[in-house]
Amino acid sequence: MPSPSWRHRAFAQWRPALGLLPLGVVIIVLFGGALLLALLQSLGFAPWLGVNSFPDLTYFTTLWSGASFWWSLWFTLYYSLAATAIALVLAILLALCLVQAFPGRAVFGSLSRLPLVVPYAVGIALAVIMMGNGGVLSRLAATLGWIDDPAQFPRLLNTHAGLGVIAVYVWKQLPFMALSIHAVLISAGREQAEAAAVLGATRHQIFRAITWPQIVPGIVSSTLICFAFNMGAFEAPFILGGGFPDTLPVLAWRYFTDADYALQLQGMAVVVSIGLVAGLLIALYLALYRGYEHRLGRV
Amino acid sequence: MLLRRHFLFVASLLASTTAVMADEAAAGFRAQFLAGNLSWDDVLTQARSEGAVQFFYWGGDDNLNVWMDSVVAPAMAALGVTLVANRITATKDAVDLVIADAAAGRTIGDGSVDAIWLNGENFYTLKQQDLLFGSFARALPNAVNFEWEAADARSQLNLRDFGTLTDGAEVPWSGEQYVCAANRAQLPVAQTPHTFEDLRAYLEANPGKFAYIKPPHYLGNTFVQQVLYAFNPDGTGAEPFQQAIADLGAAELARLVAPGFAYLKQIEPLLLGGPQGAVRYPEDAAAAEGLFRNSEIHINCGFGLYAVATKRANGSYPQTAEEIIFPAGNMIKNKNYLAIPANAPNPAAALVLANYMSSVDAQVTKLDLVGYPAGIDPWTLELADAAALAAAAPAHFGVTQDELDANIAPDTNASLVDVIEATWLEYIERGSRLPLEEIVANAVAKLAP
Repeated sequence: MPSPSWRHRAFAQWRPALGLLPLGVVIIVLFGGALLLALLQSLGFAPWLGVNSFPDLTYFTTLWSGASFWWSLWFTLYYSLAATAIALVLAILLALCLVQAFPGRAVFGSLSRLPLVVPYAVGIALAVIMMGNGGVLSRLAATLGWIDDPAQFPRLLNTHAGLGVIAVYVWKQLPFMALSIHAVLISAGREQAEAAAVLGATRHQIFRAITWPQIVPGIVSSTLICFAFNMGAFEAPFILGGGFPDTLPVLAWRYFTDADYALQLQGMAVVVSIGLVAGLLIALYLALYRGYEHRLGRV
Repeated sequence: MLLRRHFLFVASLLASTTAVMADEAAAGFRAQFLAGNLSWDDVLTQARSEGAVQFFYWGGDDNLNVWMDSVVAPAMAALGVTLVANRITATKDAVDLVIADAAAGRTIGDGSVDAIWLNGENFYTLKQQDLLFGSFARALPNAVNFEWEAADARSQLNLRDFGTLTDGAEVPWSGEQYVCAANRAQLPVAQTPHTFEDLRAYLEANPGKFAYIKPPHYLGNTFVQQVLYAFNPDGTGAEPFQQAIADLGAAELARLVAPGFAYLKQIEPLLLGGPQGAVRYPEDAAAAEGLFRNSEIHINCGFGLYAVATKRANGSYPQTAEEIIFPAGNMIKNKNYLAIPANAPNPAAALVLANYMSSVDAQVTKLDLVGYPAGIDPWTLELADAAALAAAAPAHFGVTQDELDANIAPDTNASLVDVIEATWLEYIERGSRLPLEEIVANAVAKLAP
């Protein structure tokens, strides 16, 4: 007969699993279930719509054989990567700036984090209000007589250059990246950098040999999160993007909301394609990062 | 969006394990009602015992939402039924829910949707999937407020929805007409376009000052349909577009639409953004309205016989906005309806709601407070009721009701709409170099069976 202490030990052993249960259920049932359903549908399984040709690769082959899909993929990658890269450079500068002492640092630091608590939708609305052809900038220019009509203002939104989309992503993600890099810098301390400075290293050498390796984990985790989000984000390219060819999430949405139900399966093939591309790129990125850590001898 | 739909689906799958069996009472009620064995008092009694009605409708109009809460809800409460107004952003969401419920084995009495405000493709989908409650419209006491006599041409709007026979599975709720508004601050009366040729001439003088909403949005589809009517090479306008694709055939459709699509291609560089090299089609009515308010476009079109009056009153149109007769003789007029799904949880309450919505009271207050044209037919009413309806109508600006009535055209058959929108996407948006006949033939071949 098991003693109470045995039972207690068994419970202690299982307690972490119990704590993981709520999140585990959410991830496995809602996320995993949705992923599985998306995969099944993209392969022709949707008996509730009267379609069942499982397994059927034609949804992928039709999708991938069209030139517009590759344009959509290009725009999706371009907006995601450009926004992540621009935000990263600015975030490193901001984080390095915030570890120095200067008057008003606390106020500036808090202000710079403001976009973190403002939703994307508000950022998109701000972009429309400020940068649109009916926006504050265009009307200001017309009022000042630089142009005759707000419509003549150079088009910043709704073009394939994607200035609006990238601006919103950078605006929102820059503080997030700066925060994670700043946190890494704070926890690493300044001793090594100061020691190097005493030993005569230049600022450039300090950054390359000490600061950069310190902040790389923060950079990798935050860029990964932002890139993955940008790949799948729908609202910003839908409202601020240039129309056809749309980014992949917008393309999926168009197929999905079409009155023709058969197109939902095509939309699922788009969703699965997004997952494949994002997953591959993230795996590659992590492999490169692992190699870098290995060379540094940290793993 | 995608995740949420999956969540709905998964949730309905889980729920189905506990309630797979059809609700016997509701199934019995349906059989008895459709067989004509129940009096209206029986329906009212059954509705009171059900207690609530789940009504799903597009919630994007504040005036409508206020009317729903302040007029319809109290009237339904007086009949012992709580109105649960589910405001949705797209009617298709409600149709999806009905389909997901049905896929999870939830039949009458167990579903989640009692009534939907819809028309066109959404009704066509429910009918195709056999997910409608049955022929109820003519069994309602207020059915007397509609023209059902097929010999009278005016009955067509009650008998056919985008060419699909309604079979009484939905009851008309509002009428609508495609009306364009011009901003007189930019567009003087003398330059008003009445035909598509006029529009092209106007755009040549004022490049970029017009946009139509991007198909497959129904407002964009409607604009395209009107162009196709106007450029019909036989000069028969909307007439051949009333047939289903199965009867018309892909080759004949391609011949009929060729001049219209050529026109659409021709004016593309003159549309909004065209002069800057990147033509831009607004995504929805709200986007087009914003462009119109900001004078980026001079003409804004949409469904709404009284939209100009309503929008001038609430400030979403400038006070210089006026209605215009465009395109002359081809202003599409249709009705929209209330349908009851086959798996309605409270079918009797849904019937009571449909009957209330068809009453003179509901129609007059809706016209007065929301500005939606009546779905009931004035010539079937008592004189006093017809007069009340006429008195409730908002004003017109720049045109008369008679001019608007004289220029109407019917909607396109729902089975053609899918083909036309697929053709637009391929030929105009994607700029396909394939010949139009081939594009149309491909679109027909791809249609859902």
